Amino acid sequence: MENNEYQYTESPFNVSRRQFITIGGIVVALLALPVVWVKYLATSRNDYILARTKGLYRDDEKAKIRVSHANPAVAQYYKDFGGKPLGGLSEELLHTKYINRTKGLS
Amino acid sequence: MSRAVKTYQRGEIPGVIAINSSLCKGCDACKRHCPTGAIQGMFGAVHSIDVDRCLNCAQCLINCPFGAPYETSDAVDGVIAKLKDRSFTVAGIIAPAVRVAIGEDFGMPVGSLVTGKLYGAMKKAGFEILDNNFTADLTIMEEGSEFIQRARHAVFGEQGEHGAEIGPLPQFTSCCPAWVRFVETQYPALIPNLSSAKSPQQMAGAVAKTYGTKVWGKEANKIYTVGIMPCTAKKWEASRPEFKSAYEYHKHKGNTGTGTPYLDVDVVLTTRDLSRLFKKLNINLATEKEADGGTLLSEYTGAGTIFGNTGGVMEAALRTAYAVLTGEELKPLEFKKVRGLKGVKSAAVTLKDSKYNKEVTVQVAVVHGLAENIAPVVDEVLAGRSPYHFIEVMNCPGGCINGGGQPIQGGGSSWLGAVLPWFAWK
Repeated sequence: MENNEYQYTESPFNVSRRQFITIGGIVVALLALPVVWVKYLATSRNDYILARTKGLYRDDEKAKIRVSHANPAVAQYYKDFGGKPLGGLSEELLHTKYINRTKGLS
Repeated sequence: MSRAVKTYQRGEIPGVIAINSSLCKGCDACKRHCPTGAIQGMFGAVHSIDVDRCLNCAQCLINCPFGAPYETSDAVDGVIAKLKDRSFTVAGIIAPAVRVAIGEDFGMPVGSLVTGKLYGAMKKAGFEILDNNFTADLTIMEEGSEFIQRARHAVFGEQGEHGAEIGPLPQFTSCCPAWVRFVETQYPALIPNLSSAKSPQQMAGAVAKTYGTKVWGKEANKIYTVGIMPCTAKKWEASRPEFKSAYEYHKHKGNTGTGTPYLDVDVVLTTRDLSRLFKKLNINLATEKEADGGTLLSEYTGAGTIFGNTGGVMEAALRTAYAVLTGEELKPLEFKKVRGLKGVKSAAVTLKDSKYNKEVTVQVAVVHGLAENIAPVVDEVLAGRSPYHFIEVMNCPGGCINGGGQPIQGGGSSWLGAVLPWFAWK
């Protein structure tokens, strides 16, 4: 009979309910991995900034003197040489003026 | 002059950062880190930098996954030559953020504080130590006094000595060269608000070649000053032609040894450059003996060292301003509200001005990461409705410790900016 050539038997591939749940679970877990990874990257990408920040705060905490106006070297600089903050020599050496750089554009 | 150097003065380095076109993949990662949109080129095409918009901050450089951006100026060999020339005193101006980062280049854990080893290694290489933290303390004295003067002028109508002009509030900090360039190229109306105090690096250069001649017993033109910075914009800052104040000072005094004009800071090395210099001289920082600075130019306080963190300049300034205004020390000294990685941090301090015997409330703000956080703050100031009196601005996210001259630690996460919006529910 002609029709036999086109007869089709379904492949005997059977998945039980349990197996289906197992496979589904693995697929969901694999899909979730990149999400977990990205989240980890997002939370840890500032770690090196925080570690360096901590380093400087540690330097502050272990310093004997922790305020600028009590730095004896600064006091000596002003006494020997600089005069006083905002004084004549300070204006000359320690202050500056800024430039409007938008003029070159247009 | 060519179009490329419109926003640069004669003598300045016209753009510290460029992109190597053979390494650039056109992935656009750098564009998300650029504070001014200076990077040109379509997605997929080779990118280039518009030097007139560029602030020279190198955030693109430390975040590029392919290492395409590079620095156009490299002074390592020049500095080694000066170190070998015994007729020069080479002063290394060490910024605060360098001491918590350079260890990374020698296999030490991230964030290791290596001040003593760094001093030791630098002395071995032939440097004299000028700790930038010393001039950070000097900056606080100048900038803090300036703030008190501006505040008293605004609140009590106090006049300057000899009728000197007093700037408006809010006062912006001026330590960050990228921020200064941002104001100069995009918001010139805010120039009067910038503190007139030089950055610690430029103060260090001026002090080294004036007061330093007494400390080291050398003529000013035999003192070679090297900024050692976590920052590429400092290379540009040092090349600004107006920063020859030590030369002007000696010329004015008629001192000998002036000769040809010289800059206050001759040359700048980044943290990465210094690591390279040590490696060329076979110095291993990790195994180096600890040393101390030697002269008074390396004595610093805790307030000077936190300049490298976002909020640090503000915290240091508040500690001193509080003591000057009230006559008492701030207790506790830690000012936690200006710490941390929030984009814009603000705080209020109520204190009694002992000179006028009146209570005043000082409103301060701290901004870092210009790309994302500066626009609203600047707009408020321009509209005249800013609640703040004193605003610290640092270009790089986290402050100088994450500067463009630091060891590269991105961890290859620069593409996250594009992906994170997909996970917006987190």
